[in-house]
Amino acid sequence: MLDFVYNQTIFGVLQPPNIKLKRPTWIRQPAPMTVFAGILLSYFLVTGGVIYDVIVEPPSIGSTTDENGHSRPVAFMPWRVNGQYIMEGLAASFLFTLGSLGFIIFDQTNNPLMPKLNRSIWVGVGFVCILVSFGMCWVFMRMKLPGYLQN
Amino acid sequence: MSASEAGGGVVVSRTSKPTREKASTAAASSIPSEDAVKKISDGGAAVQTKPTKRKMTAKMGFITLFPILILTLAWIAGFCSRLFAVVRFEAIIHEFDPWFNYRATHYMVKNGFYNFLNWFDERAWFPLGRIVGGTVYPGLMVTSGAIHYFLSLLNIPVHIRDVCVFLAPIFSGLTAIATFLLTKELWSTGAGLFAACFIAIVPGYISRSVAGSYDNEGIAIFALIFVYYLWVKSVNTGSVYWGALTALAYFYMVSAWGGYVFIINLIPLHVFALILMGRFSSRIYVAYSTFYILGTLLSMQIPFVGFQPIRTSEHMAAAGVFALLNALAFLKYLQRFKKQINLWLLAGGAAAAVFAAVVGLTVTGHIAPWSGRFYSLWDTGYAKIHIPIIASVSEHQPTTWTSYFFDLHILVCLFPVGAYYCVKKINDVRVFIVLYAATASYFSGVMIRLMLTLTPVVCILAGIALSELMETYLTGLDGSTLHKKEEKSSEEVVVKKTKESKDKNKPMFDEAVSPGAKKPSGAAAQLEDLDPTGIGISIRNIVVGVACILLVLFAVHCTWVTSNAYSSPSIVLATYGHDGSRNILDDFREAYYWLWQNTDEKATVMSWWDYGYQIAGMGNRTTIVDNNTWNNSHIALVGKAMSSNESAAIKIMRDLDVDYVLVIFGGIIGYSGDDINKFLWMVRIAEGEHPKDIREADYFSPDGHFRVDSGGSKVLMNCLMYKLSYYRFGEIQLGNRQPFGYDRARGVEIGFKDIKLEHMEEAFTSEHWLVRIYKVKKPKNHAKVTKKQSKIKRVISQKTSRKQEGVLRKPVQI
Repeated sequence: MLDFVYNQTIFGVLQPPNIKLKRPTWIRQPAPMTVFAGILLSYFLVTGGVIYDVIVEPPSIGSTTDENGHSRPVAFMPWRVNGQYIMEGLAASFLFTLGSLGFIIFDQTNNPLMPKLNRSIWVGVGFVCILVSFGMCWVFMRMKLPGYLQN
Repeated sequence: MSASEAGGGVVVSRTSKPTREKASTAAASSIPSEDAVKKISDGGAAVQTKPTKRKMTAKMGFITLFPILILTLAWIAGFCSRLFAVVRFEAIIHEFDPWFNYRATHYMVKNGFYNFLNWFDERAWFPLGRIVGGTVYPGLMVTSGAIHYFLSLLNIPVHIRDVCVFLAPIFSGLTAIATFLLTKELWSTGAGLFAACFIAIVPGYISRSVAGSYDNEGIAIFALIFVYYLWVKSVNTGSVYWGALTALAYFYMVSAWGGYVFIINLIPLHVFALILMGRFSSRIYVAYSTFYILGTLLSMQIPFVGFQPIRTSEHMAAAGVFALLNALAFLKYLQRFKKQINLWLLAGGAAAAVFAAVVGLTVTGHIAPWSGRFYSLWDTGYAKIHIPIIASVSEHQPTTWTSYFFDLHILVCLFPVGAYYCVKKINDVRVFIVLYAATASYFSGVMIRLMLTLTPVVCILAGIALSELMETYLTGLDGSTLHKKEEKSSEEVVVKKTKESKDKNKPMFDEAVSPGAKKPSGAAAQLEDLDPTGIGISIRNIVVGVACILLVLFAVHCTWVTSNAYSSPSIVLATYGHDGSRNILDDFREAYYWLWQNTDEKATVMSWWDYGYQIAGMGNRTTIVDNNTWNNSHIALVGKAMSSNESAAIKIMRDLDVDYVLVIFGGIIGYSGDDINKFLWMVRIAEGEHPKDIREADYFSPDGHFRVDSGGSKVLMNCLMYKLSYYRFGEIQLGNRQPFGYDRARGVEIGFKDIKLEHMEEAFTSEHWLVRIYKVKKPKNHAKVTKKQSKIKRVISQKTSRKQEGVLRKPVQI
């Protein structure tokens, strides 16, 4: 019914040109895992405080002078939650990402077609990733805030 | 809850019948398992499911009971862990902004809502005043006012202050429920429960919602998550009903917090992404059109927002997407009749036209460009250069890695995992959560304050990740394996409870879901019968055990951070001695009380803007500038007065009719947040407006450091702030080994001890010298005029006194 009305009124007067234009082939929807890789990369940069590094421009590694007057490099800016050196931020965000990769490996081992040995190895790798990441974060935190999780 | 869920299900089947057939392709495969159960049972479409339904009733009871139980526990745990400040100190309003909110609420409760909307506050921003009703988001005040009203209706006498103090902790429970609903809509009940438990105790959210932190964010996060839940629901159902509810929730959000701009940009972004992905459907059309039209109209009812939704660039993305969506829908409609219409070309053309229109209107000035506050989110260096007043606030600093770990702990690792699952099993609404995750994580990096908007999505995705992990590794395990490790401290129990319930729920879910929905296909199915995942029992035990340990550590971390970092009222300070004894430093309230009791009611107090709200709230005196920071030049004037020498400062102070000057000084107790440490910002802000008079470089020592000791610059030593802070400080010696005038906050001996004040006198100094108040001396009645100076020549009249009196002939009519 409506079909008839439209064909007689609007399309009776207007003839839509038959354009043979197609989407260029290189525009494709990215694969899901490409998207995820992009998100993970940006997350890595953000949690590493790259934006902080850009705005505040801290040195990559700090230095102090010890009691003998020698200058020693310091990796962590202690006692300052709102401050960091570039390298400590990247190291920490690397550990965060490592931890999440560990969890993702756990998901991958879930594939029932995976051989038994491979699976055991992957589960082991996942474990190592998570535990290393978590343990190191804890150590970093202790270096950053020496009183962390005490009293 | 269960009732409303069922109601939702009915609505689904009733309103969205026509769209469902077309739309089901994307959604059907990934509908959360429990929803599938409900939809089958509610719809009553299939006869075969009837027996299953009867069999399930007992189990369904558990399935609905456990979420309620866990959410209640999460609410209680979240509420309790926010009470550290109340238990340690007292039920008091914290920090700075909450004091204004409290004052405004108090005014509203006393004078009524309409008087509040018309309130012109002549006590702030003297002599300009502030139109409070038109420059405030009233949602917070109205919420606590309404609670207070209902309690008084029930004859429960509660002071409005107590309502204000406990508002944020109570709303944290509502946030947990909203998070549960959202996650359930996105994934599954189990994930929802995890997410709810996470958000109940995660420090990133607690930091803004401890008892006493009476700020917009406390209720706005609930509103934010609830809007997102309703939006996801309306995208899922495509019903006008849910779309309208989204708009209503959005209205509440707009009334509560300026962060609503995040919603009005994220939802259009979601719609736009769906269009790009070729996922356009009538559900999205209905949901977005309803939401946008109603939401925009409703948001314009808030006086502070006014016509912004149609006039400013921040809102133009929403309008543009609305136009584009309608153009696309129209083209799709036409395509029904003429197949050869080239959709891609026309839609692309429409998008270009919309974009060009927005840009054109911006150029011609019909649409205001991005305001500085929002613009600085994109151009991260912008605020540092152009708007020092934004850059000076500590919560506007960019975020470091420590904040992420501090505020989120293990969730920081679980967050990408949840994103991974969402990307892997994508559907319409999961696109939304992925976009939310990506944008919020970027914004959180720019400003530490926006960590708050990231936290909910982190909890949601972590909940999804953990629930998937548990689902994988718990399927074969008996419920008994985990039961032994129960009973720990309260929060741990909550976290554990989730797991326990998963234990019980999971097998049921797996039975309930129709076979084939989840199981891997083909040869794997046989393997599954023996061992559902092919992973040994021991490995699974270990994985689950480690996950539990991580969760326990998470709870411990959250409690530690809450107790140590986020539970300080900041107007009452506490120091701890070596033996663990506690000293309360109540200097702020002491000083404000002094102001209230000992100064004239109309007295004007000048201080740096940080303390404006507190002076108004506690001291009840007129302030020059406060935390509203709407007038940069006024603040710069105060900054200039503080950073110039006394004779220049007195001119400004006379102009502003200042009676008292209040400075915060931490040199005696070593309080690092005092005015000397903030001083450079005063200089910078003053320099921005008065570059001729104030130069930042003058305040540094020759080698380029900011020093208050003898190596510091002379300009610094003579400026008003230095003098007021260190007046008579050189006379006291704090320890036997330390010299006179040793500043503990900066660890140096001050460089200028013999300070004399010419135009001011010390009026009050609090017990630990934290607050110092000076009185500005009034100018003398008039300066004595010597004979030489006087230009008036007195002529002694020859007339007698009687003749000097004039007589008017006619009476003058005035």
